[in-house]
Amino acid sequence: MFSRRNLVTYAIALLLVLAFNFLLPRMMPGDPLMAIYGEEALVQMTPELKANLVERFALDQPMWQQFGAYFGALFRGDLGYSYYYNAPAFEVILGRLPWTLLLVGLSLVLSTLLGIVLGIESGWRRGSKTDRSMLAGLMALNGFPDFFIGMVLLLVFGVTLGIFPLAGALTPYSGLSGGALLLDVLKHLALPLAALTLAHIAGAYLLTRNTMITVVKEPYMLTARAKGLSQRVMKYRHAGRNSMLPVITRTGLWLGRVVTGALFVEIVFSYPGLGYLAYEALLARDYPIIEGVLLVVALFVLVANFLADLSYPKLDPRVSYAR
Amino acid sequence: MHVDLKKELTTSGRGRLGLAVFLLMVLIALFAPLLAGHDPVDQSRFAFQSPSLSHWLGTNHVGQDIWSQLVYGARTSLLVGLSVALLSTLLSALVGASAALIGGLYDSIIMRLVDALIVIPVLLVLILVAAYLQPSLWVLIILLSLLGWQGGARIVRAQALSLKERTHVSAARCFGGSRLYLIWRHILPDLSPILLVEFIYSMRRAVFMEAGLAFLGIADPNMVSWGMMMREALDFSYLNVWLWWLLPAGAALSLTIVSVTFVGYTLEPAMEPRLRGEVYA
Repeated sequence: MFSRRNLVTYAIALLLVLAFNFLLPRMMPGDPLMAIYGEEALVQMTPELKANLVERFALDQPMWQQFGAYFGALFRGDLGYSYYYNAPAFEVILGRLPWTLLLVGLSLVLSTLLGIVLGIESGWRRGSKTDRSMLAGLMALNGFPDFFIGMVLLLVFGVTLGIFPLAGALTPYSGLSGGALLLDVLKHLALPLAALTLAHIAGAYLLTRNTMITVVKEPYMLTARAKGLSQRVMKYRHAGRNSMLPVITRTGLWLGRVVTGALFVEIVFSYPGLGYLAYEALLARDYPIIEGVLLVVALFVLVANFLADLSYPKLDPRVSYAR
Repeated sequence: MHVDLKKELTTSGRGRLGLAVFLLMVLIALFAPLLAGHDPVDQSRFAFQSPSLSHWLGTNHVGQDIWSQLVYGARTSLLVGLSVALLSTLLSALVGASAALIGGLYDSIIMRLVDALIVIPVLLVLILVAAYLQPSLWVLIILLSLLGWQGGARIVRAQALSLKERTHVSAARCFGGSRLYLIWRHILPDLSPILLVEFIYSMRRAVFMEAGLAFLGIADPNMVSWGMMMREALDFSYLNVWLWWLLPAGAALSLTIVSVTFVGYTLEPAMEPRLRGEVYA
């Protein structure tokens, strides 16, 4: 069961993003072609190309027909053409997507798991020295911007100690394959992943700890103790499982934040994902790429939110009974 | 919902620490011209100087005094943080409270819009806008406010909905209090703790976003920003200048955000426990 209200929300969000992408370039003063295609396009502009492009986006037609042309192109998977990369924007974005997925996916899993475990341990001994120092430490960590954590890791482990590579996702032209290739990928991934994970542990931790504090007071915890269950079983199977629930509902929302964090971290490490792509496009004023990245990331976040909605009743049966 | 915020803040060690550090930052920002010693944008031919008595943190790649930049950076950060917090909290209060009090179709339309804005990756929208116009400081403040009110509006609405039904409000209504009187005398005062916490979290978000955008090169070129300093310093990571260039800028930024966070978390239990999850932004 998923709520129809959420689906409406996601549809509105998608429409808003499309409206941004459609209206912003067309509202800009000056040549709309320049605003749609970016500076690089003007360098290569010929009269035939210009006529072709005007026709393709129906730029000589009224606004609503332009929107129709824009929408039709989107449905064909046409996000525009990047004159900076000399390739369709969709292709360029698709080539970068796996790296961001790898970074964001692993970091989301790691930070959520670590946050939950630390939150359970901390909430279980509320008020103890361990709890208090963990709380203060993670709250402070929460204040450090992800790109600063990334820079510190880069400077310490990359520049000074030289343990990890400074940039990129692969050693260029190394011709590695199999296990060596995997090792190379992991070595390049380690620092960006660590930075992103460290920056996002606090969210899951604080939420789990808060729920844990209320859960340990529940009557079923007393029953569990009376049954003579071990501490570990009580802590993780009885209290922990229930404390995880609010975290799962928020994974979708957090994903948006982690993706945003990944944009910054990728730039620090010149990691060739969507964030670095958007940054390069910003510098080159390559508008189709920025719009494409916005659309792809928005879609990605919306789908993840939808999946989180679907999975929630499976984890907490009370939700489906309630409906 | 009558909570003594002052007591809440002064009895917690973390709250006191956060408040003290934040006030220190405010003082630094206010007295920047006295503390700086150099003009932060004045270039000189003495680039990459190590820290010395005349340049406490040395100079950067174009010979600007890093200590002066650091001090003036506090101004940008806090100016953006406070202005965005004020504007977006105002928007949250207006939208959230009106949705709760008017209700009906207006409420459902507004809340769908709020939910949609919550899931949109705001940073990318900002990058797209900034790619078209190099925003000045005030344009940036307005953009950040327009894209930062949605979470708060939802919380304010929830609170206003429950306040509306409280007995003291009904009592006042029975005695013939007008709608405006009720809002002004009973609902707004009880919303104020929530608005304060929302203000603090907006500020935190705005300080972070300002630095992040400046790091991407989206900043008012006439202002010195910690994010911009970090961006410039990162390009010279192969020299050891990062020790007195990048680290102080990052530390100042982190210290500001941590202090604001500590104040925020301290005030939070004062609010409805039901809302706890919502405000962790």
